[in-house]
Amino acid sequence: MVELLPRLRRLGRVLARAPADADDLVQLTVERALARRAQWRAGTRLDSWMFRIMKNAWIDESRARARRGDVFAPEEEGERAGADGAAAMEARLTAREVESAMARLPPDQRIAVALVLVEGLSYQEAAEVLEIPPGTLTSRLVRGRAALMAQIGEAGR
Amino acid sequence: MTSEERLIAYVDGELGAQDRAAFEAEMAADPELAAQVAAHRRLAQSVAGAYAPILEEPVPPRLAPLAGAANDRGRRPGLAQWAAMAACLALGVLAGRTLWPQQGPLVTRGGALLARGDLDKALTKRLAADGGVVRVGLTFKALDGRYCRTFESAADRLAGLACRRDGGWAVQVASAWSPEPAAGYRTAASATPPAVLAAVDATIAGEALDAAAERAARDRGWTN
Repeated sequence: MVELLPRLRRLGRVLARAPADADDLVQLTVERALARRAQWRAGTRLDSWMFRIMKNAWIDESRARARRGDVFAPEEEGERAGADGAAAMEARLTAREVESAMARLPPDQRIAVALVLVEGLSYQEAAEVLEIPPGTLTSRLVRGRAALMAQIGEAGR
Repeated sequence: MTSEERLIAYVDGELGAQDRAAFEAEMAADPELAAQVAAHRRLAQSVAGAYAPILEEPVPPRLAPLAGAANDRGRRPGLAQWAAMAACLALGVLAGRTLWPQQGPLVTRGGALLARGDLDKALTKRLAADGGVVRVGLTFKALDGRYCRTFESAADRLAGLACRRDGGWAVQVASAWSPEPAAGYRTAASATPPAVLAAVDATIAGEALDAAAERAARDRGWTN
């Protein structure tokens, strides 16, 4: 609980890759959470509640952008050249591979994978955040992971 | 449950004890299955690892429009929820801040948000009449008998309410605050943020202390 804003930023970065877009999403989430604070029930998980708000904010924002013909900017391809073999660069490349593989997942699968693998939520918690039945969640997790596996798993790391 | 579902449920720790034992027995007899599990474990680690550094980044100031903490259980419906939620946000901001070499005015300890440095000093020593970069506003006794004081720190752009606790000051609510009114935002200059006023309302017993009582309380070291 102590690190909720950083975690919201992290989930935001999975959903909207460009950091500025991600932070916009976090801001929108915090604003909505404050406006609806009366709806949060004490004793329930605040993180799940805010993740749900973020999920809905992201869906709304994606639709609004689609209507405007605007899309969430893909993260620019950074400098990949040079320093081949350096361990730090290697780690960064791996992270980039993961990020681009995640970005290629359909949104439904991406957020399911993010909640379970990145945020460490249980299946039940993740299903509640996404407002879907547990069976739907597991099938998204299976398909999402299979796609990720196909893209980065083969790299043999 | 399909075999793929069962496999990831195992990796994610979602199987019950019995199913887990059964799965592990199968795995022991089936190197192919064990290799799949290992591959899924590596995948889970890479995905988690790819995004982990984001937690270490300082939280941008614009994401902390309000930051508050309240340890007292709310006495009014709604306030407890509000306070608990604000506390989480505040702590999130702090978690970001602690990465910077010179920390901010607040520190978390034992689940409480404590004033430190100049803020702690101002709360302990300063009177409302003194002014300064960190100014103290109202001083009053809380329902539980503790002394509480509101503060505004121009240096930290923070306003809040702190109450005496174990020789320090536990910050009940902290909110972004600006010495100048932000254009088009608020008309009253240096207005105490509503979140702070609400916390005062919820905490105060009787009236705020007058200047003489404030001085006397300070000179007694904020003991009753």
